[in-house]
Amino acid sequence: MFNRDFWSEIFMALRRNKLRTVLTGFAISWGIFMLIILLSAGNGLKNGVTSNFADRIKNTYTIWSSVTELPYKGHKAGRYIMMTNKDIQLLESLYQVEEVSPVISKWGTLIFGEKSRSIGFNGVKPIYKNIEGIKVSEGRFINENDMKTKAKVVLIDQDTNDELLRTTGEMTMIGKTVFINGLSFTVVGVCKANMWGERGLAYAPYTTMQTIYNENKYYQMEFTTKGLDTKEENEAFKAELKRKLAALHEFSPDDRRGVWIDSQMIDSLETMKIFNTINIFIWIIGIAMLISGVVGVSNIMRITVKERTNEIGIRKALGAKPRSILLSIVMESLVITTIFGYIGMICGIGVTELIGMAMESSGGLSNGNGMSVFVDPTVDIGIVISATLVLIVSGVAAGFAPAWNSVKVKPIEAMNYR
Amino acid sequence: MIKLENIHKTYFGAQPLHVLKGINLNVEEGEMVSIMGASGSGKSTLLNIVGILDNYDDGDYHLAGHMVKDLSENQAAEFRNKYIGFIFQSFNLIPFKTALENVALPLFYQGVGRKKRNALAMEYLDRFGLKDWADHYPNELSGGQKQRVSIARALVTSPKIILADEPTGALDSKTSAEVMQILRDVNATGITMVIVTHERGIANLTRKIVHLKDGLIESIEENDPDKMDFTKEIK
Ligand SMILES: Nc1ncnc2c1ncn2[C@@H]1O[C@H](COP(=O)(O)OP(=O)(O)OP(=O)(O)O)[C@@H](O)[C@H]1O
Ligand SMILES: [Mg+2]
Repeated sequence: MFNRDFWSEIFMALRRNKLRTVLTGFAISWGIFMLIILLSAGNGLKNGVTSNFADRIKNTYTIWSSVTELPYKGHKAGRYIMMTNKDIQLLESLYQVEEVSPVISKWGTLIFGEKSRSIGFNGVKPIYKNIEGIKVSEGRFINENDMKTKAKVVLIDQDTNDELLRTTGEMTMIGKTVFINGLSFTVVGVCKANMWGERGLAYAPYTTMQTIYNENKYYQMEFTTKGLDTKEENEAFKAELKRKLAALHEFSPDDRRGVWIDSQMIDSLETMKIFNTINIFIWIIGIAMLISGVVGVSNIMRITVKERTNEIGIRKALGAKPRSILLSIVMESLVITTIFGYIGMICGIGVTELIGMAMESSGGLSNGNGMSVFVDPTVDIGIVISATLVLIVSGVAAGFAPAWNSVKVKPIEAMNYR
Repeated sequence: MIKLENIHKTYFGAQPLHVLKGINLNVEEGEMVSIMGASGSGKSTLLNIVGILDNYDDGDYHLAGHMVKDLSENQAAEFRNKYIGFIFQSFNLIPFKTALENVALPLFYQGVGRKKRNALAMEYLDRFGLKDWADHYPNELSGGQKQRVSIARALVTSPKIILADEPTGALDSKTSAEVMQILRDVNATGITMVIVTHERGIANLTRKIVHLKDGLIESIEENDPDKMDFTKEIK
């Protein structure tokens, strides 16, 4: 049945109806192509935005110092609330809190040989790396041993590292001694810029900084939680924490400010919800496109079969069996959908891969703050293949109805059809 | 070879039209029969029923000893392919196939291999002097050439019967005479032949002339075509 003659008949029919073949084919290629482009754009957006948070652990909270908005218990509005060790104790007393990571932030001048540079100088705990999603490119991060021994070690960021290497001609900064605000530190690691793209940063052990500056003032404090999985649990905890902090610092529990509390979990749940909505939207558009492709194929097949009624009648008179007519028409539409679906698929994948590659080499599309907004705009190949398969199957179905009708017509009627 | 008993056929259009009102006809193997009658008398209808291109409402039709009634499309296709060759007034060649491909098509449906198919088709084209036209498309051929291609196509499967509906209807008198000579030669090889025509000159070349009137056989006239003077025009 499916011998060379069979196929040559089919390709002959396709060649004879070039315009039809190309139009149908284009509709199909375009449908698949656009579906892939749409899906990958959605993915790119999602990957881009989530990559900003991806390396941060999700059960993280951040508290920022802020200014009160409401007067309360004899305090005037506009009072600056500064966090202290009492806040750390408060947090550590809560059973939901796993580990508190206060940050001592100072401005400093880093000197290495001839070179000096101003930096943000932060005393952090080892957990800070996970909370902020810091990537260490060379050496290591602050560890528990540094904390215990209050070691005078420091991590510098990539930008600072590269500048120091360039101006001094050194090969590596690891193990070198640098001076920060007049004190000597040994460089133990180099890290990438943080998620905000900030440059000129150094990290030393929290305990070391505490000893040096005897600090009891925190602008920012982070902590990890346990057992808070849902949005509701997090919202409840956040409200409870706000009340406790309000009581501690004597500001109104209704004050929208005083302290800012931000939950990474809530943020990421919200983000995921937005992307799920976008995704559903994209799928609806994509499926509409597929359907219009299928309708196009079915319409064109119906017209073609109508046009070929006479020919089908002649073939029947010459002894063509219904099966052979049915098969050849169905196979025609199958061949069109398969070939052009495949072309659309290859083009779509090609274009998205090219864009993906271009973005990778340029570090992704970023907004002004160095946050990426568009990363790896590619689609799961399984989805692409199933979409193409759906189209191919529909193509067969689209060809089947008119083919079946033409088979049922009496040969003489088909031959006399005008 | 063909045995029709009390064949009825009604077209159910806007108004039911009782076209065949009980046809009884026997055509023996090797006979050459013509069917004559006024326009609309049901000649084509009858021939289409004989060719299993259309069905009939009532009566019995036996073809080569087989009962032809309520056949499945598959069986009908097999009968047509095996027993019958068709020749039409409007040729009914497939326009996008060459003469050779047109002639080879019935063999394709018999499952004959490509090489053998083309060789056989070429042999038949050659027999009707069309060897040089094998690769031409129908629109590049004259009416007579087209009809010869369609005769070659009808004969290529070595059918038992040739059914021709106004085979010379679209041809001039000279070409008509040539085509009729070919059909007579074909008949001489033992192939049964039924020709529908409304031209007396054509009917005179057959041995039996069936006159159809108002859906019934009015008379069957015996004829001796050899008495015909071929130097005379047949139209
Ligand atoms: N498919 C059809 N539906 C309805 N009526 C039809 C159909 N085919 C033919 N008829 C009618 O049946 C009658 C016989 O038609 P048929 O074609 O058999 O005549 P004919 O003898 O071949 O005439 P002609 O010499 O003009 O070819 C005509 O009146 C015609 O209008
Ligand atoms: Mg007629």
